[in-house]
Amino acid sequence: MKVLSVCGLAAVLVAWAGCASSKSSSSWTPAGDALVDGRAAISQGPAKDRVVWQYRTALAVLRRGQYAEAKALLDDALLTIGGINANDKEAKKSRSLFSEESRKTFRGEPYERVMAYYYRGILYWMDGEPDNARACFRSAQFQDSDTENKQYSSDYVLLDYLDGLATVKLAGDGSDALKRAQAVSKSGPLPPYNPKANTLFFLEFGTGPTKHATGDYAEQLRFRTSQSVVRSALIKIDGVTIQTSPFDDLSFQATTRGGRVMDHVLANKAVFKTSTDVVGNVALVSGAVLAQNRHTQEAGLGLLAFGLVSKIVSATTTPAADTRSWSNLPQYLSFAALELPPGPHVATVEFLDVRGQVLPSLTKTANINTSPTRDTVVFVSDQSHTTKTL
Amino acid sequence: MNLNLRKCFAPFELAIAGTLLVGCASTGVKNPSGVPVTEMRADERGFVAGTGVESQDLVAVTDKMARSILGIPEIASAQGIPRIVLEPVVNETRFPINKDMFLTKIRGQLNIKARNKVRFLAREQMATLEREQALKQSGQVTSSSDPHVVEFKGADFFLTGKLQGLTTRTSAGTSDYILYSFQLIDARTSDIVWEDQADIKKQGLEDATYR
Repeated sequence: MKVLSVCGLAAVLVAWAGCASSKSSSSWTPAGDALVDGRAAISQGPAKDRVVWQYRTALAVLRRGQYAEAKALLDDALLTIGGINANDKEAKKSRSLFSEESRKTFRGEPYERVMAYYYRGILYWMDGEPDNARACFRSAQFQDSDTENKQYSSDYVLLDYLDGLATVKLAGDGSDALKRAQAVSKSGPLPPYNPKANTLFFLEFGTGPTKHATGDYAEQLRFRTSQSVVRSALIKIDGVTIQTSPFDDLSFQATTRGGRVMDHVLANKAVFKTSTDVVGNVALVSGAVLAQNRHTQEAGLGLLAFGLVSKIVSATTTPAADTRSWSNLPQYLSFAALELPPGPHVATVEFLDVRGQVLPSLTKTANINTSPTRDTVVFVSDQSHTTKTL
Repeated sequence: MNLNLRKCFAPFELAIAGTLLVGCASTGVKNPSGVPVTEMRADERGFVAGTGVESQDLVAVTDKMARSILGIPEIASAQGIPRIVLEPVVNETRFPINKDMFLTKIRGQLNIKARNKVRFLAREQMATLEREQALKQSGQVTSSSDPHVVEFKGADFFLTGKLQGLTTRTSAGTSDYILYSFQLIDARTSDIVWEDQADIKKQGLEDATYR
C-alpha cells in the first residue's frame, strides 16, 4: 500500500512534468543544402523555429541575388519580431520550470533582430524606397537599445550613418545621424555624405557569432565568436579603387548586450533544480536510514517518497538556455557610396586579410547598370556567388 | 496504519506543493507576461511605449483626412471639377510601410464620398498612356478623337503627406507616437490650401522571455 502510494504520486508528477516539456518534432529531413533545408523547415518544421529559418534562408538567397524571395522571408519574419508579444502562451511556458526556453517562438537576440531589419533596409533601398530603408535602419538601431550597459545601447555605426545618408538623399538634414555614427565609430572619421552618390555598396565578411550554453545545466547563454580572416575590402570600378573598413562588428555587438531578463529566469530555474536535487538526496539518504529502524520506519518511508519526488522534480526542471542561432551571419559590415555615370559598369570587390593582402579566392565581380533616376544598390558578401548582375 | 501513513505523508505533500508553487522561476521579474498593446489617445498619458502603423490606423487617419478635404472651399465651392495628383507620402518613422496605401485609401474615400466633386489624375500610368497615344498618332490603333491634340489634364492640386515618429524605450516598455500630416497644395500658386493631422500613440511591454 505504501509502495503503491509512493509510486502513484511519482507517476502523476512524472506525467505532469513530462507534459510540460514535450518537444515538437520536425517533419522534414535535412538535405544538407542551406536553401533546400531552409525552405523545408519553414514550410514543414515547427512554427516556433520558423523565424530562425527565415533569417538563415533570407540571407542565403540574398547572397545568391534572389532578392524577391529574401524580401518575402524577411517581411514575414519582421511581422513576428516587430510586434509586442505579451501574454503569449508558449513564451509563458518557456519561463516555467519544466519547459525549455527554446519552446518559445524564436525571435532572436537583439543583434539578430538588428540584422533582419538591416537586410530588409538594403532591399528597400534597392527598390528605390530610401525612406522605408531608413525606417528599417531606425528599427534596427531600436532593437539594440535594450542593453544592460547603456554604453553599448544603439551603437551600430552603420545604422546611424545610413539613417543620415537616406535623410540627405531625401533632401533632409542628416548631420545629427552622422554625428551619432561618428561618436560610436571605432575606425576613425567616417566619410562625409555625398548627396550625388548614386551607387551604394553594402559589404559584409567573416563569420558572425553563434550561441552556446554554459553552466551546470546549460542555463547561461554565451556567444561563440571567431576572428574573420577578411579585415577590409577593395572596390575597383571605372579605374577607381576604394578601400572600405568595417563599420560594425557583430561579434562585438552580440557580446556587449549584457544580461537578459530571461537569464534571471533561467538562473532561478537552475537554483531550483539544484535545490530540489540536494533536498532529494538528503531525503533519500535520511529516509533510507530511518526506514531501517522499526520505530522510525514510517517517517523513513515518508522521507524516501519525498526524496524521490524531489529528485523527479529536479530532473524535469529545464533551465537550458535557447541556443538557436542565425548561423550564417557575417562578422563585419561595411559600406561605400560612389557617384557613377548612368549605364553599365563592372565592379570588382577584393577582400583583404589583416596584412592587406588580397584573398583571391574571395574576389567578386558585379555587373552594375546604374540607374539615372534612383540609387543602385550592390550587396556583396565574401560568401556571395562570384558574379552577379544588377 | 493507513491513518498514520497519511499523517506521515501530509507534511511532505504540502511541502512539495509549496515548493512547486513558490519555486516559480519568474520570481523577481516584473510583469513576466508582458503587458498587451493598448491603443490610447495621443494626449493620454501612457504607461510605457508602443508599436507601429496598423490597418485600423490607416482607416481612421484616411477617413479623417477625406472628410476634412471635402469641407474646404477650394473643393466644396470649386468652379468646375478640381484635378488632383497624388504625390508619394514621405515616411520618417521607424516603421517600414506601404506608403501608397494612405493616398490610395484617401483617393478611394474621396471618390466614394464626393463623386464628381474632385477628379484624380493617373500620373503613375503616364508611360502607358503616352504609349497608347503614340499608337493612336501613328495610326496603329483607332482613335475616337484627334490623337494629336493633347488632352492629358494638368493638376490643380497636389495631395501629399508625411509620417513622423517619436519612440521611447525604457525598462517599462516601448512607446511609439506617430504623427500623420497631409497637405493639399495649389499647383498654380504653391499655396497649401489645406492641411490636417492625426496622431496615434501606442505602447506595450514584451514578454520577459524576449527581454
